[in-house]
Amino acid sequence: MMRVQAPYTNLFRMQTFSMQSLRAGLVLVACLAILICASVQPAGAAPNRVVADLSDDLVEINSSYHGTELLLFGAYRGMPGDDLILEVRGPSTDLLQRRKEQKAGIWINVETFRWLGVPSFYHVFSTRPLAEIAPLQTLTESGVGAASLGLRLAKSKGGGGSHHNGGDDSPVSRASASTDEQNAGLVRNMTGLGLWATRTGSVKTQQDMLYRTALSLPSNVPPGSYVVRVLHFRDGVAISESKTDMKIRKAGLSALIYRFAHDYSLFYGLFAIAFAVASGWLAAVAFRRN
Amino acid sequence: MYIYLPIAEVSMHIGVIIGLGGGVGFLSGLFGVGGGFLMTPLLIFFGIPPAVAVSTEANQIVASSVSGVLAHMRRGNVDFKMGGILMAGGVVGSSLGVVLFKFLQSIGQIDLVIQMSYVVFLGIIGALMLTESLRTIIRSRKSGGVRRKLHQHNWFHGLPLKMRFRRSKLYISAIPPLVIGALVGVLAAIMGVGGGFIMVPAMIYLLGMPTAVVVGTSLFQIIFVTANVTLLQSIQTQTVDFMLAGLLLLGAVIGAQFGSRFGARLRGEQLRGLLALVVLAVCVKIMFDLALRPEDLLSVELLR
Repeated sequence: MMRVQAPYTNLFRMQTFSMQSLRAGLVLVACLAILICASVQPAGAAPNRVVADLSDDLVEINSSYHGTELLLFGAYRGMPGDDLILEVRGPSTDLLQRRKEQKAGIWINVETFRWLGVPSFYHVFSTRPLAEIAPLQTLTESGVGAASLGLRLAKSKGGGGSHHNGGDDSPVSRASASTDEQNAGLVRNMTGLGLWATRTGSVKTQQDMLYRTALSLPSNVPPGSYVVRVLHFRDGVAISESKTDMKIRKAGLSALIYRFAHDYSLFYGLFAIAFAVASGWLAAVAFRRN
Repeated sequence: MYIYLPIAEVSMHIGVIIGLGGGVGFLSGLFGVGGGFLMTPLLIFFGIPPAVAVSTEANQIVASSVSGVLAHMRRGNVDFKMGGILMAGGVVGSSLGVVLFKFLQSIGQIDLVIQMSYVVFLGIIGALMLTESLRTIIRSRKSGGVRRKLHQHNWFHGLPLKMRFRRSKLYISAIPPLVIGALVGVLAAIMGVGGGFIMVPAMIYLLGMPTAVVVGTSLFQIIFVTANVTLLQSIQTQTVDFMLAGLLLLGAVIGAQFGSRFGARLRGEQLRGLLALVVLAVCVKIMFDLALRPEDLLSVELLR
């Protein structure tokens, strides 16, 4: 009896980290539906199917956005000892990595490396530490973990320089291997920004059928298209995989201001000045009355 | 309550933003300075990207300078001719500054240059103000004080293009104010300040303008310099956060009211001494940031 009750209480407690109780209820229904479907499936047909879903596949960044938590959940046909790895990957971007050195008593950037096609967001969740689930080689082949992100480095010409304006650089030809220090630094920096994370033991499973985990999106989450992937491992081998999409976009007033600033930058600037002059004048009038 | 800042792309507590505006507004009302030199480092400290902090602060200074200059205009304390020449230099200088800003950003040295400019200029100005106010305090305690000359004559009074500035009671070449305007304009664009804290001493000690018209004239030209920075940054880098500027402004308007009332109870040299200490404190803090080993020698910047 306890084993049956535990998931229910957990699902209801989820409100505290999820969004609304309504949504939690929906999730519960969805989970049950998946569970029923999964259990009625004949043993022979698609025995290893894993299914993934999200409590919300569209996240809107509006003016009151301050990060949010989503529920990542689904069903799988598992056996005791099976493992799950979930990964959430954001849009790829190039990024500059800078290295500081002490020169004449102060710390200044002396070197810039350009990384190509780095996921701007990459959170990995798993039932156990990745190394215990499968050998690194298997993980890499399945495309899991920082080692498999296919990160390439294009070294800039000259110290501190960069190819900010793009134009001339041909990333493929100048792509070079990165050092361990650079790799570790990238992971450390991105983790520090809350954009990358590895949460081992964060995937909770129920009776080798249901799984769930909480995905927390920071307030600096990059907008764009996201891919959620679930991998089902048994004895160090990926036996099933599933994908689902998620979109993060700016909305409401913040989207309006952003678009105005980028599409009509001249008018935006003029408007900002006019607003400042008007409010300065208003403040002065209020001052005089007092 | 958190608010997502659309251009900075981070969320900040609305109370923190208004509080920052209020606190800096209080000090600017108290000392009669713009407060950009405090606000920009504070915004960066609170996680606003440096480029956004600098551009947005320029936008906010437009507003605070407008409200400041109106009071000075009513008292006839603005030398429009001098202001116009400083402004001409300032618009050219700040345009160069915006270009320089983008260049430094592209080679990854903008943070360093911002910090170095703060250390150098706040250090010099703070030290000058502190010694000057201490001297005044000591002198006023000793005796009735020595009467100074209206202004000192120096080498650049021999330059061509002489003009008469009636309001400032000056007959000097237009070149020094143009050059000063341009240099302060460059710094304003890079440091995210109005530049009053450099402009005011320069007007008094270099140009020899009477103190009464200095603040009003400085504010007058700051409006145009910061408006120019706002416009150019909007076009070139899209880093002016209208939402952030508006909220800071709200706090600053309220803070400045309290500041100026409080300031009326203090004496001029005491005020200047206190301001010097604030300026030096900011300078020392940034100096430490540069000199201490950073937690992580590597850093990343996402390219959008």
